Amino acid sequence: MTATQANPRAIEVLAEGSAPFHPVDPDGFREWVRDHKSRALVSKLTTAKEAVARLVADGDYLSYDCNYLMRGPNAVLHEIIRQQKRRLWLAGKFTYVDVALLVAAGCADRVDCGFFLATPPVNKALHEGRLEVYEYSNVVMTLRLQAGAMGLPFLPVRSFGGTQGFDHSGARLIRDPYTGQPITVVPALNPDVGVVHVQQADKYGNARVFGTGIAHAETALASRKVILTAEEIVDTDEIRRDPGRTSIPYYAVDAVVPAPFGAYPGTCPGYYGSDPMAVMEVFGAISTNNVAPYLEKWVYGVSTHEELLERVVGAAKLAQLKANEIITEGYRP
Amino acid sequence: MTRAEAFSDREAMMCAVARMVEDGRTYWAAGGGTPLYAILLGKKLYAPDAQYVTEDGVIAPEPMLPFEPMMTMVASRATYRALSWGTMNTAGFHAQLGFMDYGVLNTLQVDQHGNINSTCLGEYGSETARRFGGPGGADTIAACCWRTILMTDQDRRKFVREVDFISSPGFLDGTPGARERAGLPRGTGPWRVVTPWATYDYQDRRLRLAARMPWVTVDEILAECEWKPLVAPVVEVLDPPTEEEVQILRTELDVRGQTTDAAGSWIVWDGKQYTRGGA
Repeated sequence: MTATQANPRAIEVLAEGSAPFHPVDPDGFREWVRDHKSRALVSKLTTAKEAVARLVADGDYLSYDCNYLMRGPNAVLHEIIRQQKRRLWLAGKFTYVDVALLVAAGCADRVDCGFFLATPPVNKALHEGRLEVYEYSNVVMTLRLQAGAMGLPFLPVRSFGGTQGFDHSGARLIRDPYTGQPITVVPALNPDVGVVHVQQADKYGNARVFGTGIAHAETALASRKVILTAEEIVDTDEIRRDPGRTSIPYYAVDAVVPAPFGAYPGTCPGYYGSDPMAVMEVFGAISTNNVAPYLEKWVYGVSTHEELLERVVGAAKLAQLKANEIITEGYRP
Repeated sequence: MTRAEAFSDREAMMCAVARMVEDGRTYWAAGGGTPLYAILLGKKLYAPDAQYVTEDGVIAPEPMLPFEPMMTMVASRATYRALSWGTMNTAGFHAQLGFMDYGVLNTLQVDQHGNINSTCLGEYGSETARRFGGPGGADTIAACCWRTILMTDQDRRKFVREVDFISSPGFLDGTPGARERAGLPRGTGPWRVVTPWATYDYQDRRLRLAARMPWVTVDEILAECEWKPLVAPVVEVLDPPTEEEVQILRTELDVRGQTTDAAGSWIVWDGKQYTRGGA
C-alpha cells in the first residue's frame, strides 16, 4: 500500500466540535489514584466544612449527582457557596436550580450543559460574559463520566451526532474502524471533584444508594477527589452482610460526611420528602433574579447544614418531611 | 363515551397522545409534565400493558399518584413498584440497544424536518439570544428511540421553517440518510408531532398535517405555522377529549393543575359546537 491510498480501517475524523473540554488524561488519572487514593481501610469521617476546604479548590471541575430537588448533596453545595469557591466548571447534567444558585453566588464560570434551569441569573451571567456554556446532553454527560470511570479516553455514543450541540462541544464524529459507519465519540470526563449524597455509608466510604439515580457510581469512580455525604453511617459489618448493595467502593472515596437531611430541601427517597415551600422559595429567588436574600437566609446566615436544619427549618418540619415519605419498599436492605 | 364539555388545549393535546399509546410497547417519557401524563393516561384507559422509563433509569414503575410537585424522577412515588431501578446510563444504553419503541417529549421549537430546539431562541451566542435549559434527555430519546412523538403548542413562533438551534435530532437537513451519516441508529426518527390543534406525520422526512381537532380549520392551523407544511389529501378530524379522560387528568394525574392550567386556552362545547376561549 502506498502512502496515498486510504486505509479503510483507519480512524478518520469526519467532524469535530469546537468547544474546550476538561483535559482527557487516563494515565494521569491512574497516577493520581496511585498517589492519592488510600487503599487502606481508614476512616474518612469528617465535616462538610473541612471536606470542602480541603478538597474543593478554585478552578476545579465539579460534578455532583442528581440535583437540588432530588438527592442532591445540598449540604456540600451550600458549603461551597459559603466558602466562596471560585471559577468552578460544572457538569450540568440533570441539574435544576443548582446551576443558577452556583452561578448567582459567583462560584461557577463554566458549565457543560446537559440540562439546567436557564433562569435570569444564568442569562445575565451569559450576557455579561461571566459564564461560558458548552453543549452536551444529559446522557452524553453521564457517558463521558462512564468513560472516565472505565479509565478510557473516550466512548462512542449513538446520539448527539447531527445536532448543533455537537458543534459547541468536545465531541467528534469519526469513521468506526469496525463497521465503517460514522459514529460520535465523546471525551472522557474525570472531574477534579465529585460529590454524591447517599443513603448509607460506612466510615471508609463504602456506600449504598437506594432508588434510582443519575450517575452516582460513575461520578465517584471518575473523580479525583470524592466527597460523600450520607444520611446514615452504618457499620462495615452491615456492608459485608449484603455486599450486592454496595454502590460505591471505599477506595474511590476521600471524605465521608455524616449528613442527616443532607439533601434538604430536596427529597432523599425512602428517608424524607422534599419541602415544597422551601423548593418554591428557590424557584422564586432565581426566576426573579433575586438570589441574594435566598442565599443570606439559607446559606450565609448559618455556619453549617446542621445549624440550618436546627434553626431555620426546625425539628417539627423535619419530622413532617420524614412522615411524608410513606414508601419504604426498596429503601432498606 | 361522553365528550367533555370544557377543557384546556393542553388537556386536549395530552388526550390525543394518550390514544396513541399501545400495549406491549415501551415509552421513554422526557422529564415530567405533558409527556408523562399522556403516557399514564393512555395506560389507565387504553393500553395497561404499555411500559415506560424515565431518565433516572426506572423501568416500568406503577407510580403512587399524584406526584409531589416537580417530583417525577428520583422520587419514591414516581419510581414506586418498578421492575428495575437503574441510572441515566441504564436508560441511555437500553435506548441504544433498541429496547425503546417510542420517545415522547415536548419542545420549545420544531421545524419542517422535525428537528427540536430546547437550547436558545435567537442566534446562538448573540447578545439577544435567550437561553433555555438544553436538551436534557431529549437528544438521546430523539436519536435512539425507534419513533419519536413530539408535543408542542400550535404557535408560529414554535412551528418554524428552521429551528434556531438543533438540540435534538429530527431528520436534520431532510436528505435521505442524514441521520445515519451523523452516526445515529438506522431506522429511527420523528414519527408524530401533536399540538392542541393538530397531529402531523411525515412524508419524505417533511412534516405533514394529518389530522385536526374539530374546533379549528386547516387554514387556522396553517396560519400558526411559520412556513406551509405538507397537508394530507384528507385531513382527518379527531375526536374531542372525553369526560373520562379529562377527569382522570384532573383528579388523578395533574391534580395541582401544574401542567393543564399552566398555559393555553379553553375549549367549550356550546351545545352545537366547540368554541375556543381566550388564554
